[in-house]
Amino acid sequence: MKAIYSLASSLVLFVSLCISFSAYAADQAGLDAEIEELKAEVIELNRDLFDLEEQLLYPATTSFAVFVSMDAVPDFEIQAVKLNLDEQDVTSHIYRAEQVEALRRGGIQKIYAGNLKPGMHSLKAEIVGKDRDGRPVKRMVVADFGKARSSKYLEVKISNNPNQNKPDFAIVEWK
Amino acid sequence: MRWFLCLLVLAPFAYGDDLLPDERRSIARDPIYGQALYSLHAGEYDKALGFNYQLRKQGRKGYGKILDIHEATAQLGLGMSQHAQKQYKRLLSDSRVSFLPAPARAQAWFYMAKHFYNKGLWASALTAMRKVNSAHMAADLKDEYHFLATTLELFKGKPEKADKHILAINPDSKWAVYAYMNLAVSYTERDVHISKVEAVFNKALLLTSNTEKPEALADKINLMAGKFFYATGRGRSAIKHLKNVSLDGAYTPKALLTYGWALTEQWQYHDALQPWYMLKTNHSALNQDVQETLIAIPHLLEKLNAKVMALGAFDYATEQFDDIYRQLGESANRLNTGKFIEPLMKQQVPDRWGAFETVDLSLPNHPDQVYLKDVMSQGYFQGELKSLRDLHVMRAQLKFDMADLNAFEQMTKIRRDEYNIIKKEAQVSKHRAHLSNLKSRYKKLLTRIDIAFKNPDGSGLASEPEKDQLATFKDVSKQIGQLSKRSSLVESSYRDRLRRVEGVLKWTLSERYNERKKQVSQNLALLENKIRQANQQYKAAQFAYQVAPKTFKGFKNKIKTLNRTYQKQLTKLDRVYDKQREKVGSIVKVDIKKRQQRVMDYQLQARLAAARLFDETSNKQRIVTGEVRQ
Repeated sequence: MKAIYSLASSLVLFVSLCISFSAYAADQAGLDAEIEELKAEVIELNRDLFDLEEQLLYPATTSFAVFVSMDAVPDFEIQAVKLNLDEQDVTSHIYRAEQVEALRRGGIQKIYAGNLKPGMHSLKAEIVGKDRDGRPVKRMVVADFGKARSSKYLEVKISNNPNQNKPDFAIVEWK
Repeated sequence: MRWFLCLLVLAPFAYGDDLLPDERRSIARDPIYGQALYSLHAGEYDKALGFNYQLRKQGRKGYGKILDIHEATAQLGLGMSQHAQKQYKRLLSDSRVSFLPAPARAQAWFYMAKHFYNKGLWASALTAMRKVNSAHMAADLKDEYHFLATTLELFKGKPEKADKHILAINPDSKWAVYAYMNLAVSYTERDVHISKVEAVFNKALLLTSNTEKPEALADKINLMAGKFFYATGRGRSAIKHLKNVSLDGAYTPKALLTYGWALTEQWQYHDALQPWYMLKTNHSALNQDVQETLIAIPHLLEKLNAKVMALGAFDYATEQFDDIYRQLGESANRLNTGKFIEPLMKQQVPDRWGAFETVDLSLPNHPDQVYLKDVMSQGYFQGELKSLRDLHVMRAQLKFDMADLNAFEQMTKIRRDEYNIIKKEAQVSKHRAHLSNLKSRYKKLLTRIDIAFKNPDGSGLASEPEKDQLATFKDVSKQIGQLSKRSSLVESSYRDRLRRVEGVLKWTLSERYNERKKQVSQNLALLENKIRQANQQYKAAQFAYQVAPKTFKGFKNKIKTLNRTYQKQLTKLDRVYDKQREKVGSIVKVDIKKRQQRVMDYQLQARLAAARLFDETSNKQRIVTGEVRQ
């Protein structure tokens, strides 16, 4: 009788342990799912805030942006870009290795966003990098452009010149 | 256990870039796609997801399934593996997937396999891996593909299939090292002849020069080989490998400990003391290898028959274990009072989170620094701490965003005030009235000028007496004409005199005409300038009036709604953060308890051995003294 009682009690203990363990595991999995859900929601919220920021800070009538793009140029590795708008330094960016790779893989970086009055303006872009042999390369490109009452986008474009096997630097206006 | 070691080796190499399909920008100058691609490859996964969503919202066509792959990749990067898993499964079970280009399809299967592999779901990983068509794999992913296939086949599939994959890996690739290392581990588990295992370990060691950190990897392989040979009773082979582990690397403590044991196994007790003393001297007592050494050294001294020294060493070990036990207890207390995990969280880099962002573990001058690094070598704990870090960074980000929202609210208020001022001051009507006033003045002036300057002889500018004089000249001339008709008495000299007088007046008038004309044209120019300025002001006021409402209207509700959502999200995040903090805390607590238990065991052993030794040495002394008495 005693043996049956002890067997039954140990069985009950085992079952309760199993249940509590599975409940614990479910709770842990639930927490992971909750964290992921939270991440998704925070990203969505950030996106909404970003939209609001774009609309509020850069209205379509005055909005102005500069992008940087780089083709797979074998003889040039970008290190930094500095922008000067109407004789004033507006922004600069130093590139990390993965950002350089991102540009090489076809990515476009929005380096500057701001507001600009209608009229004539001038943009200077100073591009710093190094060539295949590690020698420093510094180029300055200038563009004079007109701004009407609509958004204006410019692109600092680094492309490969296959004839000279050298990089070409230019500021391109998006129509 | 060996497997776990192997996974640890590979974990740091699962960089974000390696998970990305190498897609070039397909549509030139598509800024959103370009930015999405940039963010994805630069490791800014949250931004990448945002752009991806924007692309979908705008219904951009022509990207095929690449956006889905990008989304899954970004989700993986952010540590949202369940979402990514769903996305990959949906992508690959889609009946329309036949439209997916073969390279993209091969890559999707590969990434899915890699994802399962990283999550430890190896059977699923192998199933996905077997669906990869290697002919369509991108060139720079081929080696990694073969490595992963090797590993999965070795441990979950058919080991003989692994050989085919190993041979396909470029020997100059870093993946070849890992493949050979895994092959060696597999051999150790499959009871393959020892010479073969040794050959594979040596091959892996030879290939380490192709990796980013060859020294660290060589240390790791040597340690693995040393531990294996020691465990299988081949002390000499173990010593050969362990000797090559550098003395200032991450694997030094383990290597020194095992080296000592291997020497002990070879009965080289004197030599074994050296690495253990080195370990004890150069590393913190909180390190578990050092703790093992503390108890091993006196045992070894006892073997060397240096019993008094052994007794001293046991006493020293007992004191040390007391101290370690106390330190561990203090760590547990700091955990409860927020002085352990919290300072670590506070120093994390803002905006950097996700599966590929390592947790910054440097806690200078913090008493838990050593313990933390030790406990972080457990992969499971790393994952949980990363999740906690992500939540911490997200919380800071949410707070920052809320501050932004407040700033936006202020901005709209300022803009509304500006608009109200514009409206209240009636700038437009003021400018309009001023402009029309100027215009009417201009018009009147023109009429007057027309009248004044109608006759170029300047008569229009004559004063009243001059006008009278001109009229008188006319009359006199008339009278002279009449008189000359009646009689020839009127002399021509009268006419001449009259002409002269008239000439003087007309000359004065013409001079005045020129002068006044010059003045008037100057005045007109000034007036025209004023009108132009007034017109510009009027237009600017009109524009400001038109534009002002647009810059704040419609934002108030949006900001309010977003603020509310942020508040809710923050509350939710706080709740989840507390849960995760508790989870991390409980892992640490359990770990500390285990360590304390182990320390207590060591201490008990040390005390018992010390007591025994004390008895032995004092009995010996008694016997020696007795002999002398006799």
